[in-house]
Amino acid sequence: MLRAMLTFIQVLLSGLAIGCVYGLVALSFVLVYKAADTVSFMQGELLMVGAFAVVVLQAAGWPLAAALTGGVAGAALLGAVLERTALRYTLGHSHLSAVLLTFGLGLMLRGGVTAVPAASHGMFVLPLPWADEVFRLGPLSLPGGQLLVMAITALVAAALSLFFRYSRSGLALRACAEDARSAALMGVPVARMHTLAWALGAALAALAGVLLAPITFVHLNMGFIALKAFPAAVLGGLTSLPGALAGGVFLGVVEALAGLVLPEGSKDVVPYLLLLAALLLFPAGFGARRTA
Amino acid sequence: MGVPVKPGRAEAADIAARNDSPAAAGIVRASFCRPLAGPALAALALPLACLLLGTDYALGQATLVATYAIAGLGVVLIVGQAGQIVLGQGALVALGAYAEALLAAVGWPPLLSLPVAVALGACGGAIASLPARRLGGLYFGMSTLAFALVVEEVLTRWSGLTQGAAGMLVPAFGGGGWRAQTPLAQFLVSLVALALAWMACRRLLRSRLGRAWRAIREDEAAAAACGIDLARTKSAAFILGGGVSAFGGAFYAHWIGFISPEQFGLMLSFELLMLVFLGGVGRLSGALWGALVIVAVPQLIAVARDALPGEGVGSAGLETALFGAVIVALVLWRLRGEKRRGGSLR
Repeated sequence: MLRAMLTFIQVLLSGLAIGCVYGLVALSFVLVYKAADTVSFMQGELLMVGAFAVVVLQAAGWPLAAALTGGVAGAALLGAVLERTALRYTLGHSHLSAVLLTFGLGLMLRGGVTAVPAASHGMFVLPLPWADEVFRLGPLSLPGGQLLVMAITALVAAALSLFFRYSRSGLALRACAEDARSAALMGVPVARMHTLAWALGAALAALAGVLLAPITFVHLNMGFIALKAFPAAVLGGLTSLPGALAGGVFLGVVEALAGLVLPEGSKDVVPYLLLLAALLLFPAGFGARRTA
Repeated sequence: MGVPVKPGRAEAADIAARNDSPAAAGIVRASFCRPLAGPALAALALPLACLLLGTDYALGQATLVATYAIAGLGVVLIVGQAGQIVLGQGALVALGAYAEALLAAVGWPPLLSLPVAVALGACGGAIASLPARRLGGLYFGMSTLAFALVVEEVLTRWSGLTQGAAGMLVPAFGGGGWRAQTPLAQFLVSLVALALAWMACRRLLRSRLGRAWRAIREDEAAAAACGIDLARTKSAAFILGGGVSAFGGAFYAHWIGFISPEQFGLMLSFELLMLVFLGGVGRLSGALWGALVIVAVPQLIAVARDALPGEGVGSAGLETALFGAVIVALVLWRLRGEKRRGGSLR
């Protein structure tokens, strides 16, 4: 009995940890969705590129903290550059063009990394602090990597909520997402906010990639996890940032528990079935207000 | 119609119905020239391609183009006519292909199993669009994407039925003792299939349903005010579009002769979207031109890569990156063209 209980808690914890990563990617989706009214299909690639950037910087001899900052900032820069050079032109056009454009950019990023022979074959470890240690709490053993992921996600969520509530750019970004025309009339530089949204989205994705590293290692296909962030974002109502994070965590836990109960292999479809069910039953997301 | 007057809501549906033909001045010329120009060009291009590339290869590629175009017609109905977005059409193509393969394996003649494939695709379209039918817009993208990922997973895991990732062999198309084995026969069959699908879609566009789709695309509120049932009309687009795409998928299975789940993944869904985007989402002929580009681009990229020095491990990645670059360039090019013409994308 106790043993079953312990297994349950361990699985719950690992679900929470992976759920935090889903939540971060979902955050980046929702951020882009709100600001640019488009679904980005390159978040997974940005996640992968960000993680690889940190690995490369670290291999080049940078200390870990500098490599982390450099990788995430680099991803943000990449997002901003892509917005300036390509994504900006989809504003005011159909959803289709933006979706295709992000997919094409994602292919370019992915192909670019695949073309590097070392990257396409290897799995890389990112030596985050405490990631390999195991903390004991009575009979429970808590892997440090999972605790780290949860702690950093909580920190990022707190920082983001402060940013959106108190900082000038954060408020401006929210105003743009709410109503771009009125925001422009109030003197908000809408185009710059658009760039900021993509940069933030890219940085969040890269951060998720770094946090994913202790769980799945850094490899070419780690970006596939971004597909699971779609259900997370939809569960949160697609327009709510806290909702996206909560949706991600919920999804991670449900998926982990489904792995306990359901037969091998079927847990991968659980997020998508949840998405379909959520749209059917709670079209506005759990607890979100329906605006339009 | 020379002066761009913002139409009143009551007129919107009417204008939308006419919107597929160009402005009044050009109507007469365009309606005579446009339907003829395409086939004429194709008729010229095919012998040329046969000369340049070898007959069998050119015919094989033309067959592939026609098959992609059929699948693309389904997307044209959904994206171009009804103005919704679909991100998982590859799964409906897969349903058609697998229905055909499985029924062929138990001995059904292709002509009998084709309707089943189409019906299965239509059912898939209904299920995929059901969760988002009252939300519309990008939510359709989400629900169809989720549906496609589920289908791909089921096709991979249910190996008792589909042999999983190992894939299935499909016999050649035929009926009554005759088999379409030669490239020429396959090309002719796919041409007939394309013509059938094309005529069905044309008929649809001119029906009450087709007008309702365009009305929704232009202005949902106005369409609803005209008595159009939004949810039902949108679902109809996904059901019929799914059926048409599955029809294309059934032929794809026969021509390729071997199907496995990963052929119908996200990549195919995006290729189909790309196809209608390039050809022009509003026109049926867009599917054909787009199919030509989508079939040709990877081949051109392969040729270009062979011409470049530096064979090796990275070449697969280079190919992917080039394909992505082509997509990005084409999308930006189209967007710029839209801007110059001052119209929105239809």
